[in-house]
Order: sequence, then C-alpha cells, then structure tokens
Amino acid sequence: MRDFKRSGPMIRMKLTDYEATLLESLVEQFAGLLEADEQQPDAGDSFARWQAELSGNDPLDHTDPVINRLFPDAYPQDPAASGEFRRLTQARQRSNRLGEAEVVLSALRDTDGGKHPVQVRVIELDSWLKTLSGVRLSLAVRLGISTPDDAEEIDALPEDDPRAYVYRVYEWIAYLMENLLGLR
Amino acid sequence: MAGENAPEQPGGATAVSERPAESALTGWVTIVWDDPVNLMSYVTHVFSAYFGYPEEKATDLMLQVHNNGKAVVSFGSHEQMETDVDAMHGYGLWATLERG
Repeated sequence: MRDFKRSGPMIRMKLTDYEATLLESLVEQFAGLLEADEQQPDAGDSFARWQAELSGNDPLDHTDPVINRLFPDAYPQDPAASGEFRRLTQARQRSNRLGEAEVVLSALRDTDGGKHPVQVRVIELDSWLKTLSGVRLSLAVRLGISTPDDAEEIDALPEDDPRAYVYRVYEWIAYLMENLLGLR
Repeated sequence: MAGENAPEQPGGATAVSERPAESALTGWVTIVWDDPVNLMSYVTHVFSAYFGYPEEKATDLMLQVHNNGKAVVSFGSHEQMETDVDAMHGYGLWATLERG
C-alpha cells in the first residue's frame, strides 16, 4: 500500500523499488533535456553559461516540441520579442529547473532504490511539484496530448499499445502530485 | 456589470482628458492559457503560492482558465508582467503577456 504522511516539515512518501527507480530515470531524462550541451569548456560555471546564452548562443533544441512547451512564446504575435524574452530568461530558467530536479533526484537516491520512504521536505515541495509537472508535460508531448480529447483517446488504448504504459505512468505522476498537494 | 451605466465623464474629467489618449492603455497583463495536462489543484496552488492570492481567488482564476480557455492572472508594468510570465513558465504553465 502506498503511503503519504506528513509530520511537521517532512512528508514521507512510500514508493516501491520499481517506482523509485522509474521516477529517478524519468527525472534524469527530463534534466537531460535541459542540460543540453554541457560539454562546453564552461560547463558547471553558471555565470559563464548565462553570458553565453545572453550573447545568443542557445544550447537547447527548439525543434523538440517538449522544449517548446517548456519555453513557450511569451508574445504569441511577435516572434522577435519572444526570442528576446527567451534570450534573457532561458539560462536562469534552465538552471532553476536543473536545481529543482536535483532536489528530487537526491531525495530519490536517499531511498536506496526504494528501501526507505522518500523524504520530501515541505519547504522543497515546489521543487517537487515543478519537476513532476515538467515530467508530465514532456510525457504529454510524447503521447501527443494537446487537447482533453487526446487524453481520452489514449486512455482508451488497448493494454498492449506501448503508449498505454506511458499513459499509466503519466497518470501515476498526477496521483503523486495530488497527494503531495493535499499535504502542503 | 458595474460601471456600464456610469456617466462617460465622471468628476475630474478635465484632468483625464488632458492625459495622452494612450495613457489608459499602457498597462500590461499576464494571461494563463488552458492546457489538458496541468492539474486543476496544481494550477490553483501556483496562483496562490506565486501571487499570494487567497485560496478562493486562486480557485476562481483556475476555473476561468479551465472554463474559458484563458484568464488574466495579473496586471501591471511591462517588466513586472515579464517577470510573472517567466515565473509561470517555471511552473510549467502556458503564459503570455500583452497590453491590457
């Protein structure tokens, strides 16, 4: 039985070893999308990364629809202004996202492969929610969910369709989020 | 709605008419658009956590997004709206800004 329990500043979330490993790999994949090209000589130096991105060196693959969903146009009628907005905000956004994903990953690693419950610090709840929401957004793009009807269609797929499994994972993350939100 | 039957020029009309015509339009708004992925409870949480809106107001805005496809969630200066849109993107919400 799954278990979400809050005591004071800490939420304990029991995951099976399978679930803990699955979640860890999903969050790692999500972070991987945002890490982009960390082979550059200034990798790890966030100030240098910001400088590079401010000078128009965009390390993200904007042909990937997941990246477009995570960094949507701020000015839908104005591509130039949207590009300028991205140039000024994207580096910090990426670095925040990676920091939040690291909060989740480090808590998952502490479970020792699901042997111990996940310890979610309440002050870090937004890092969890933002990361789980980001993972769901990326799964939704991969599943082709862009309208409520799409979601219903995928929900009705036969069990042997590979998308049916991904959809169950997508729904499971929603379940985790609902439970965490209920304890905030 | 309140205000529809109000006189066109309330007291102080002189001061109002001396302002450039655009001055009433120089505000900006942040708009959040509906998407089929983000949970209703999560969207409400974002509005209350980031903007500090009371639960009732946050729920109301979430329902506007859900039912009408979008909602104006904040208004103010251009710079402030860019900050708000950036924050909404950080939460994974689909947000844009425009002149309000």
